Amino acid sequence: MSLTLSKRLSLKRFIKGETAHQPVIELNHRRIFILPSRAGLSLALVIVLMLVASINYNNSMGFIFTFLLAAAAQASTFYSYKNLSGLAISLAKTPASFAGSIGHLNISVKELGERERFVIKASHLNQLTTFNLKKDLSLLIRLPVKLKKRGWYTPETITLSTQFPFGFFRAWSPLLFKQSILISPQAIDAGVPLPFSKHDEEAGGSASNQSGADDFAGLKPYQQGQNYRQINWKALAAEKGLYSNEFSAEQSANVWLDWQSCDQLTVEEKISQLSFWVLNCEERGVEYGLRLPNMELLPNHGSSHQHACLKELALYGQS
Amino acid sequence: MQATPLQPVLIKLLIAIGALLITPHIGELKPSFIAIGFGLLAWRLLTLWFPRALPNKWLLLPLAVGLVLFVSKTFGMSLGRDASSSLLIVLMGLKLLESKSARDAQAVIYMGFFMLITPFLFDQRIELAIYAFGVFFMLLFALVINTSQTNTLKNIPLLRLSSIVLLQSIPLMLVFFLLFPRMIGPLWAMPDDSSAVSGISDSINPGQVSNLALSDTTAFRVLFNGRAPAQKDLYWRGPVFWETDGKSWSLTPPRKAAFKRASPIPKSADDYQYTLMMEPHQQFWLYALDTPINAPNKARLTHDHQLILHKKLRRNIAFQIRSSTQVHFQQLSNDDRQRALKLPDNLDPRINAQVTKWSQHSASNKDIINKALTFYNQEFFYTLKPPSLHKNPVAEFLFETKRGFCGHFATSFATLMRVANIPARLVGGYQGGVFNKVGGFYNIRQADAHVWVEVWLEKTGWTRIDPTAAISPERIEHSIDASLQRVNGDVSFLITPPDGLRKWAQQLTWMVHSIDYYWQNTVLAYGPEKQLDFLSKFGILDWGDMVLWLATLSGLILLISICAILIFKKDTLDPVQKSYLVLCKKLAKKAGERQQYETTSDYFKRAIQHHPEQAEALKSLQLLYLKTRYGGAAEQVFIKKALNFSLR
Repeated sequence: MSLTLSKRLSLKRFIKGETAHQPVIELNHRRIFILPSRAGLSLALVIVLMLVASINYNNSMGFIFTFLLAAAAQASTFYSYKNLSGLAISLAKTPASFAGSIGHLNISVKELGERERFVIKASHLNQLTTFNLKKDLSLLIRLPVKLKKRGWYTPETITLSTQFPFGFFRAWSPLLFKQSILISPQAIDAGVPLPFSKHDEEAGGSASNQSGADDFAGLKPYQQGQNYRQINWKALAAEKGLYSNEFSAEQSANVWLDWQSCDQLTVEEKISQLSFWVLNCEERGVEYGLRLPNMELLPNHGSSHQHACLKELALYGQS
Repeated sequence: MQATPLQPVLIKLLIAIGALLITPHIGELKPSFIAIGFGLLAWRLLTLWFPRALPNKWLLLPLAVGLVLFVSKTFGMSLGRDASSSLLIVLMGLKLLESKSARDAQAVIYMGFFMLITPFLFDQRIELAIYAFGVFFMLLFALVINTSQTNTLKNIPLLRLSSIVLLQSIPLMLVFFLLFPRMIGPLWAMPDDSSAVSGISDSINPGQVSNLALSDTTAFRVLFNGRAPAQKDLYWRGPVFWETDGKSWSLTPPRKAAFKRASPIPKSADDYQYTLMMEPHQQFWLYALDTPINAPNKARLTHDHQLILHKKLRRNIAFQIRSSTQVHFQQLSNDDRQRALKLPDNLDPRINAQVTKWSQHSASNKDIINKALTFYNQEFFYTLKPPSLHKNPVAEFLFETKRGFCGHFATSFATLMRVANIPARLVGGYQGGVFNKVGGFYNIRQADAHVWVEVWLEKTGWTRIDPTAAISPERIEHSIDASLQRVNGDVSFLITPPDGLRKWAQQLTWMVHSIDYYWQNTVLAYGPEKQLDFLSKFGILDWGDMVLWLATLSGLILLISICAILIFKKDTLDPVQKSYLVLCKKLAKKAGERQQYETTSDYFKRAIQHHPEQAEALKSLQLLYLKTRYGGAAEQVFIKKALNFSLR
């Protein structure tokens, strides 16, 4: 793909990077830029001083070593470049991440150039990690990222940079991926009891457990986002840790998680509550269905079902 | 660079480099600074095992201020060669003590690069250059270690990388060395901190020259264009001494008074032409084969045939000189006659008596000279360890000790001549030289330093008389073998060695001297004049041309290296993939190319339709290929089969 001159010279390319059209970006001369680092600028000063001394004393050996140092600095630019070029970078699958938490960008780096790579820094926003890479290997880099909103999240520019070998120059490559990561809604239990729709009763679920808060069935480790009313305070007082009470209602086989059942909440609160239920039901092995104003997912369980539910919730109202 | 802590291995490497950087200064700088430098390094080394010995900033700051004050107190405010070298040694040691992060280490390494060139301000020997090249490599390696945060020095890829970078930077360095415009003269006046240089100085006393006879260092080198004179005619003329106070001969009154230009001597076909490579001797005069008849650039020929430089010689310069060994008659002015006859005040009466004895029975000045030479020949000994002389050296030497070296003979002989009313002057210089058969040049060493006399005669004008030759003709026929001088004072001469081993040793010495000669002549002497001279052969005549060519050539080198990196990229396909592509090409003849959307299985199916007779072979190949792709160990089998596969 060729670039127009204005694109070629635009500042955005140097700082933010070209948007990638392929999921895997192979670093090459078009994406790698190089400029002297701060240490490189001080080196320039040192070289000038050495040159002045050599001129002043008309010293041949002084000239030789001054020029040798300058030439070595020049030659090092190729090695900075080679340290980055021939790496294939892609965004790897990220584990389920929830809004409001610290998630991780997983970046896959594959070595294609049959060279060992040294001290490459990968940075995204203010997060930074440094890695080495043996030849012909690939590596998964995790960069923590603060996730604020549910829905699709497109990472900002990921910059790979290196000052190898001498620290005189910094070679960098800004990468802007098109792919997005799905951020699930924050799971918060607003305290609405698990709804049991008519479907349930028709299917002959245990009606006695409708309220969901009746029969104490045991203790479970506390789950993030659970309502504080479910915390077993006795256990906490006995310094056993955070446990939540489990009630027999939640052991029923088939649950509809319904938008309608949390009427008094705002939209975001509803979504958080539903997400919490999804996680909760999945954890217990309960078959659950999701009913949103515009769609319905039939009761099921398993990670792909959970994922589908969370995706619907994440994208609700975001088209 | 963020504050990454230093690896102990890097600190050790930096300490080693620091020690290697200080070592060449031993003997050049004041011992106190060498000791401070090593002391600071040793302190840093100790802290590796006793981290509590690491100074905090309340100790370090006063220490730094104190040491810098010490340097400035020793050298004054001028930042000359000695001062800056000493200051760097101290600062590098302090910085190393203070270093905590990679950034500090970077600064220490930068100081190291600067320190690397300071020994060359004192001495530019080829050994030192090779040594510095090694240290330069270590500095580069330290940079790599620092940047990569490696915790071991035995990292082969990094070692290899540093050496490759070093080798790759040589072409660009050479282009800059040859083409970077050299300026004449210093940018600012520097303090005159030249260390004592051995050689003839501006005053001669009898015992002085014998000290030089032990020194094998080179004074200058001479390459004759065409034939060379015989060994006994190799008198290298230096300063001419007219004034004596009875103890020593000196170049006072101020040398400018003697700066009358020489009367021109016509050129002739018998003249000798040669290039003289002078070592920087920090003096105003130049040496030339007796008698020089033209003045090279940067020098002038005076009335008494001295070559005087416009400036003290501080670097290696080559001079083109023309000399004639023939006699050229020259009138003696009254002024000069008076100067050449002036006697010291406190002349010993024994000298007068001796001269009167000779002149009574002599018809001419020539007779007196011959009688004097006979006197020397019969009663005197040539030795490097003469008895010491006191108040009246000439008379004590002539009538008591009678043992001496050329300095004794020449000074006493000149005094005798002046007493006999024959105008006489002393000439300092060198005699002989070692011919280097490998390089084809003469190496004139300090050991060849010599002093002789010139007397003015009616017929021939100024005539060279060498009393040393009357006593020890070997001295003139052969050079002194400085390496064989013994304490007892017996003089050994360089005579062609008879047996194998010494002959080999001599060959080796010649070789080493030849390398040194070319080093001096081509690398060290490459200054403004030589640069213009060399570049004019390529049509590069001025600064503008130089800068233009510098830019062009370095650009070209850059371009070549970029091309080398982009074109000679390593094949990134693995061997299995390569042989798979070969196989696909074979199949493509009939089945057509594999389409982007086709999987390997689909393509093989299609290929089998075109080659039903090969179905079995293709199926097994397909299975093998898939096996290799999913981590099987079938790679070698697949490669072999795929390459051998053929569609008959």
